[in-house]
Amino acid sequence: MLNQMTIPQKLSIKHGSGKKVMMHGVLMIYTFIALFPIFVIIINAFKTRKAIFKDPLALPTPDTFSMVGFEQVLLRSEFELFFANSMVVTLLSLFFVLLLGAMVAFALTEYKFRGNLFIAILFAMGIMIPIRLGTVSILNLMSNLNLVNTLTALVLVYIAQGLPLAVYILSEFIRQIPKELKEAARCDNVSEYKIFFTIVLPLIRPALATVAVFTMIPIWNDLWFPLILAPGEGNQTITLGVQQFIGQYVTDWNSVLAALTLAIVPVLVLYLIFSRQLIRGLTSGAVK
Amino acid sequence: MTTSNHKAPFPWHILFFLAPGLLIYVSISVYPLLDTLWLGFFEEDESGQRFFSGLKNYQTLLFDAVWSEPFWNALWNNTKFFIVHMLVQNPIGLMLAVLLSSPRLQWSNSYRTLIFMPTMLSVVIIGFVWQLLLSPIWGISENFLYDIGLGEYFDAWLGNEGTALTTLSLISVWQFVGIPMMLIYASLLNIPDELIDASVVDGSSAWQTFWNIKLPLILPTIGMVSILTFVANFNAFELIYAVKGALAGPNFSTDIMGTLFYRTFFGFQLQSGSITMGAAVATLMFLIILIGVAIYLFLVQRRMQRFQL
Amino acid sequence: MADVQLKNIKKNYGDVEVLHGIELDIKHGEFVVLVGASGCGKSTLLRLIAGLEDISSGELSIADRVVNNLPPAKRGIAMVFQSYALYPHMSVFKNMSYGLKIAGKSKADIREKVEEAARILHIDHLLDRLPRELSGGQRQRVAIGRAIVRDPNVFLFDEPLSNLDAALRVKTRVEISKLHQELGATIIYVTHDQVEAMTLGDKIVVMNEGRVEQCGSPLELYQHPKTQFVAGFIGSPKMNFMDGRVSAINSEYLDIKLSNGTITQAHVESADLAIGDSVTIGIRPEHMQEGTDAEMVLEGQVTLVEQLGEASFVYMQLDDGAEIIVRASGESTTTIGERIKVCFSPVSAHVFSQSGQAMRRLKAGNVKSHAELARLKAVGAG
Repeated sequence: MLNQMTIPQKLSIKHGSGKKVMMHGVLMIYTFIALFPIFVIIINAFKTRKAIFKDPLALPTPDTFSMVGFEQVLLRSEFELFFANSMVVTLLSLFFVLLLGAMVAFALTEYKFRGNLFIAILFAMGIMIPIRLGTVSILNLMSNLNLVNTLTALVLVYIAQGLPLAVYILSEFIRQIPKELKEAARCDNVSEYKIFFTIVLPLIRPALATVAVFTMIPIWNDLWFPLILAPGEGNQTITLGVQQFIGQYVTDWNSVLAALTLAIVPVLVLYLIFSRQLIRGLTSGAVK
Repeated sequence: MTTSNHKAPFPWHILFFLAPGLLIYVSISVYPLLDTLWLGFFEEDESGQRFFSGLKNYQTLLFDAVWSEPFWNALWNNTKFFIVHMLVQNPIGLMLAVLLSSPRLQWSNSYRTLIFMPTMLSVVIIGFVWQLLLSPIWGISENFLYDIGLGEYFDAWLGNEGTALTTLSLISVWQFVGIPMMLIYASLLNIPDELIDASVVDGSSAWQTFWNIKLPLILPTIGMVSILTFVANFNAFELIYAVKGALAGPNFSTDIMGTLFYRTFFGFQLQSGSITMGAAVATLMFLIILIGVAIYLFLVQRRMQRFQL
Repeated sequence: MADVQLKNIKKNYGDVEVLHGIELDIKHGEFVVLVGASGCGKSTLLRLIAGLEDISSGELSIADRVVNNLPPAKRGIAMVFQSYALYPHMSVFKNMSYGLKIAGKSKADIREKVEEAARILHIDHLLDRLPRELSGGQRQRVAIGRAIVRDPNVFLFDEPLSNLDAALRVKTRVEISKLHQELGATIIYVTHDQVEAMTLGDKIVVMNEGRVEQCGSPLELYQHPKTQFVAGFIGSPKMNFMDGRVSAINSEYLDIKLSNGTITQAHVESADLAIGDSVTIGIRPEHMQEGTDAEMVLEGQVTLVEQLGEASFVYMQLDDGAEIIVRASGESTTTIGERIKVCFSPVSAHVFSQSGQAMRRLKAGNVKSHAELARLKAVGAG
């Protein structure tokens, strides 16, 4: 009896660990596939032109190390300016999306009034229907307002773009705040404004972080609206700036690689710092 | 209440909370969209004078060979673009999610973080990255294929009319596989452990448990992933524009709705752009997305009940 | 026969050992309850028996067959989960038949078995419903039904009543008890509720920090707790504990000087105690009474009175600060703030050594009258 039993034991252990090995194998291969292209770009950005072509997969060595690409990029384009533009646009849009989004979400979940459902549906539709489809009129509108080629135009568009999802996610969270908290405050004669700014806003901080991430990424990475609303003369965002730069210097491999690296690295660093929050937001069921 | 005949004061606070957000959203998103739909019914003469022309733009777009050929070409390409995503991105995303969600898997967080990384980057940047990697001049891919014995299959995939679109689709899949992975992963985590334990006690193998228990329970998420993919795909533009430019070459073989819209609106080469024609193309994109969303809401989502777990 | 035997079962996660050599022998048809505070390892032990977790070392046999490495479905067990774990997308019938279908049983077979189980549990009219359309009690039955159709040697229950409301819990408890008699199957049942354990179990296994603290019949645990942990765990309200020192050792009792100076007797074996050793003396609230009718008298101030009708719980503080509870008569007129005397018989006292081990009591039970005490002394001497 015991002998009989020992055979499946060995088998099952072997089988179990074999499965684990295979799972790690698949995941590692995919991780490699996901990272390898980015890795190749970054290492080659630090090499001489000759080394880039001779052995693209080699890490830069003291012999092949070169920063000439970066020098060229910083010399020939206003990279710092693009970066600053992207920062300004992203942060301003983000601030307003969060603030206005939370306010709208609060109004829609807290108060009953005529048109409540209609407005809620209007915002919900914005989650699915891309704002891009209205580009023709948006450009008209911006030129009527004399805002073409300004960062203000971008900020306005991005606020409108970010609001629907923000309202949706924040509403879900505001709904979960216990009624008693607000009612207790009302009994103490606290104003509605104060209830929102001192009770509701602090309580939904985790949701705000989630919304921030979802809002920020598309704005930072967008090409469409910068291309159409603010394409030139010092108003480019980093995505557009890099696109134009590469289009212009497409044969200068050092510069192209350096430009790509400069566009990639800050995002990756930020991502690695905030990935915990981001992934928690993605997996917390905030978006269903 | 005995004092109910007192008229309640006007709820200024509601206006305060609602107005700023609503104003921006309506004036910069809702109104332009409606205005675009409206503009599609107009024509513009050389002097820039606009006049109402009913469905003429759509007639031109759908039936006049000069316009309809690019339109149907772009729509068909876009459909292929979407099909590749559905057939490659979502199954891979599902597989990775299933692997990641297996209990007590070491380094699960690291895999998740790293695999999601490309999704964070700009589509434009990703387009350039792959353009370089696939470039025959640099030859990284070529050498790589030679190293694993597949060298003879190398081709300038991005430059080839027959392969450019598929290649671009796969680049997009590569970038965005993290999204279905994360969403499905989250939904797999939501399945209570006891449910899986119960099926193990019932004697089902890992495969049977996946097929009979997990898959039916994550079907709503897969439905949602599909509609998100659909909307994103029929709204795509950047990748093609970055890699192939507005002309979506070679010979329009990578032209999709987004690039067609851009060209129609802004013009290219000798043809000048047309606001009204652009509006008509945008309207058709809007209708396509609307149909997709409607199918999802009324057919798919209604049939797939979200199970209370 | 479906004996379940656990020999030196250990479980560790990495370097952390959570079960330290569990020994347990369960007879066919026995209703065994594993009870303990949360985190004591009772659920882990159940999962090991079910085969949901690997056994790190030791041997587990069910019906004379070592099952350490058999998958759950081959062990002849069925399990009822705390959350019921009904498949939300399957009808009641499919939920109950899923295991049989996987096992490749014929359709007719499956139908017969499911319908029979449904009849036993009175859920035959619910077979086409989805779990979310059922009440908590009905879900519970379906979960049990899913276990019954497997026709197992051993039923495993993991806190199956904790999701039910109080009234339903009592009702279901009775039903599970009846079901046990009806099926005659072996049941291993995990709970943290000692009342559930006492009412259901033929045998109760009290666990603490990954060890079996004591294993025995409900009455055995109540009357002869082997450790202070068990003494405190079984019984409600909790046993009163007071610190003291051994002041004299006699053949059938010890004299113990409590920290407030009172000298009390306790009818327990002295084992290896010596005079001067610190001990803890334990008396259940229901073995104390108001007044001075029993030999040992304590005095203190009443801090709270809970009136239940059939009894009153008097919370009081002794002069040395010790808090005790006395189960007084329902008609008690004691009020908060009053100074009262309470008493108990030395026979009902438990004594625990510094390490928490109980001294063997010479006579169990609640003996209060002098006559009984005299009889007891006679027995003890004899």
